Amino acid sequence: MTTAPLTAEHGVGAASAAPTPAARTSGLRKVYGRTVAVDGIDLTVPEGAVLGMLGPNGSGKTTTIRMLLGLTAPSAGAVELFGRPMPDSAAEVLPFVGALVEGPGFHPFLSGRDNLLRCAMAEPLLPARAGARELRAAVDDALERVGLAHAATRRYRGYSLGMKQRLGLAAALLVPRRMVVLDEPTNGLDPAGTREVRQVIAQLHAAGTTVVVSSHLLSEIEATCTHVAVMNRGSLVAQGELADLLDGGTPTLDVVTPDREAGLDALRAAGITARAEVGGLLVELTGTDAPTAVATLVRAGVAVHEARRQRTGLEELFARLTEDER
Amino acid sequence: MTTTADHAAAPLAGPVPRTSTLRLVRSELRWVLRRPRTLVALGLLLLVPVAMGVTLVLSSTPAGGSGRGGPPLLGAVIGNGLVLPIAALSITMMLLMPLVVSMSAADALAGEAAHGTLRGLLLAPVGRVRLVLVKAVGVLTVAALAAGAVAVGGWVTGVALIGGDGLVTLSGTTLPLGTATLRVALAAAWVAAQMAAVGAVALAVSAATDHPLVVMAAIMAGLILFTVLGGLSALDWLHPVLLTDGWLSLADMLRDPLPTDNLVTGLLRAGCYALIGLSLAIARTTTREG
Amino acid sequence: MKRRKATLTAAAAGTVAGVVGLGLLALPTSASSAPSLPPVGAEQLVESVLREQPPAMGGTVKVDNALGLPAIPGVPEGSALLGGGETRVWLDGHGRGRAQIASSGREQTIVHDGTTTWRWDSSSRTAVRSTHPDAKKPEGTVDPSAAARQLISTIRSSSTVAVDGTARVANRDAYELVLTPAPSERTVLREVRVAVDAEKRVPLRVTVLANGSSDPVLQAGFTELAFGEQDAGLFKFEPPAGATVKDDERKPDRNAAKDHPKPKIVGDGWDTAVVVDLPKGKERGEQDPLAMVKQLGKPVEGAYGRGWLISTKVGSALVTESGRAALGAVPEQVLVEALGSTR
Repeated sequence: MTTAPLTAEHGVGAASAAPTPAARTSGLRKVYGRTVAVDGIDLTVPEGAVLGMLGPNGSGKTTTIRMLLGLTAPSAGAVELFGRPMPDSAAEVLPFVGALVEGPGFHPFLSGRDNLLRCAMAEPLLPARAGARELRAAVDDALERVGLAHAATRRYRGYSLGMKQRLGLAAALLVPRRMVVLDEPTNGLDPAGTREVRQVIAQLHAAGTTVVVSSHLLSEIEATCTHVAVMNRGSLVAQGELADLLDGGTPTLDVVTPDREAGLDALRAAGITARAEVGGLLVELTGTDAPTAVATLVRAGVAVHEARRQRTGLEELFARLTEDER
Repeated sequence: MTTTADHAAAPLAGPVPRTSTLRLVRSELRWVLRRPRTLVALGLLLLVPVAMGVTLVLSSTPAGGSGRGGPPLLGAVIGNGLVLPIAALSITMMLLMPLVVSMSAADALAGEAAHGTLRGLLLAPVGRVRLVLVKAVGVLTVAALAAGAVAVGGWVTGVALIGGDGLVTLSGTTLPLGTATLRVALAAAWVAAQMAAVGAVALAVSAATDHPLVVMAAIMAGLILFTVLGGLSALDWLHPVLLTDGWLSLADMLRDPLPTDNLVTGLLRAGCYALIGLSLAIARTTTREG
Repeated sequence: MKRRKATLTAAAAGTVAGVVGLGLLALPTSASSAPSLPPVGAEQLVESVLREQPPAMGGTVKVDNALGLPAIPGVPEGSALLGGGETRVWLDGHGRGRAQIASSGREQTIVHDGTTTWRWDSSSRTAVRSTHPDAKKPEGTVDPSAAARQLISTIRSSSTVAVDGTARVANRDAYELVLTPAPSERTVLREVRVAVDAEKRVPLRVTVLANGSSDPVLQAGFTELAFGEQDAGLFKFEPPAGATVKDDERKPDRNAAKDHPKPKIVGDGWDTAVVVDLPKGKERGEQDPLAMVKQLGKPVEGAYGRGWLISTKVGSALVTESGRAALGAVPEQVLVEALGSTR
């Protein structure tokens, strides 16, 4: 783990020579038979970012991730990882990319450690001459990191869902990476496990590793990501820095009151922009906040039946998407 | 860990880091040979000649009588123990060994895909062509071990239980123990080559599906179809193309001097099947979803 | 994508190569063009064949038949000869020889070491020894040279003999000697072709063609042949341990059991018919011949009473209820006449 910053330093160095994003797609499209899985995805993941791919189930997150990693060939469009075309450059790029896609995949008859050892033997970044001891050290390190050291010798068959998920994470973290892609990493994890995954992501971010994490939970994205890409029905609805998207648009307060005229006057006197609406007032929360606005109204003797802060930006967007799903 | 750091220090510049093929093959073989069902299958194959030998010793006349009706070589085993490994090979290669080999090929790609581990290998990354080749080495190893198990089991049982002074060939000559053992080894190698061809075709099926059972069912169905086609004399123009058609010539190993024609044709035929199977497996793996 | 295309192209090439390879294996050994050889007269060729002793050689003989024989249950030994089996033959050029008739999971070996002939059958694990004071060629071997010689001398009187082009048999240049029955002959055969090695004057292949069929009904020839010294060990036979060794007490003509009456020959040339009395009842565990005939033959009636006719493309056999049989490479009518003339 101590080596992760080293990798990142070099990674940054390489990136500064050629300022390419860690991942970029243009016009990405995938069609299965007559079903369009994703269409027109232009995604950019800046180096060093933690990008959350947010979207309801079936919105094309996994398909996009699979095309990023060269597991699926796109029907149209292009994918670049670190400036190299995928899947043609898979051999050069993928060693530096760790991934947990579509759940963990391991052999039930092998122990957790043996499963990881098998992954390690296929890992190009573990030097060709690495003896059994070096491979084992890398494996034990990864197991330690995801909190599975105690169950290393147990057969995968007997693992709980959470343990399986952790083992999958361990495989992605076998060697220091420049990019880690995690598809729904907290699936099946208890709250403690979820916290640990967030910690791992934070550590990776601190070390300068680019992380792409997909989720259908806004809370998870908000907690860990610097960037967000929102997907719905196979297309990219929004992308950008988390802060920008969260604060996008003007936050407003919906006030239900019978005394619209009095209210408007009181607010104007206090320098707060507002306008009358059917059944109440719409208060803009620029330069002020909700408690101040409500207090101003109450002080002026305006009857406030209800005041509701309208959701903005990401929240609003995501709420709409998940409502669509229902 | 420092070594790891040094190695990771030059990402995307300079030579592409590549896993050594040897390490991949070692890993594959470890995996194949630790799989419980591989071991059980090989153990069963080892027991087949032992069971045959014990049965022959207990009932001095085999069920097949003097070669008509029953397995043709069984009659030659009485008092002639070194025929046992070859007789056992000729019997097991018809169904049992293809089953074991196709099982191994089924696990190699379809099974890995079903477990989600194929994705892990592709992401490592192991190139798709190299992946198929490494898998082919695994299947070939199982084929060789399967033939070897039957041959060794048959040799030991034949020498220990039945005995005999050297090997009496079908031609009526007697081969000394050393030459006879060489013949047994040659027969096992020939059978292993035939099984490798079955394995390559199975690998092609395995590359096309995520269900291991489909692979085994397809191979069994293919073998049965080939046997039926091979039995129709109206189709004898087709027979030289059928993989199973040359399998009866294993009995040539028991003739003296050794007639090589059919055996060599059998090898060439197996080679063609192996080439087709491997090519299709590579083509399908290259295009398949990881 | 470029790399992927290259891989797919290579894989397609591999598949095609494999399929082509299989095709090559399935193709009959290519009929290479007829070699050009100095012309030779038919008489001269036959003479040279009769004169030349078969030299030391080793090869494989394959018999292909399209006789249209009904499948006979429990056919006696020798069936491998007709069943498209392969026979390996070695001759040392001094009267010693070895033949191995292979069939599925079984082999019959015949070794003539100069004074003794051994017949080994792997299925019964018996070695039968017969001693010949005079060094004769081993009987029963499919030696095309002996077969052709016999054929030519019997048929010369009633046939046209001509050299009709050349052929290549078992990678050797050969003249094609063609025997055609004279128009007066009443036979179902159209012609018999014998390929004779141009250098060694050894018959390499005998082909029998019947009326009404362009494909040979019977062909016996070398598929592989090498002239030269053969391993001396091949011309000895040592009964293996555990084998039953028997002395052959039968007459040299092993096809006629000792109680068989002598067959009568009717006619000559191509329309020769043989009339025999069938042995009655079961003997030596074999099936009653009459019962078998009844199973296979077509019931017929005539001056001879009731009978059964078995016809193939190269000839027919007529067996009467009273146990008499006539056979020959002739139509039914000739057999009926033969039965009548020997009554």
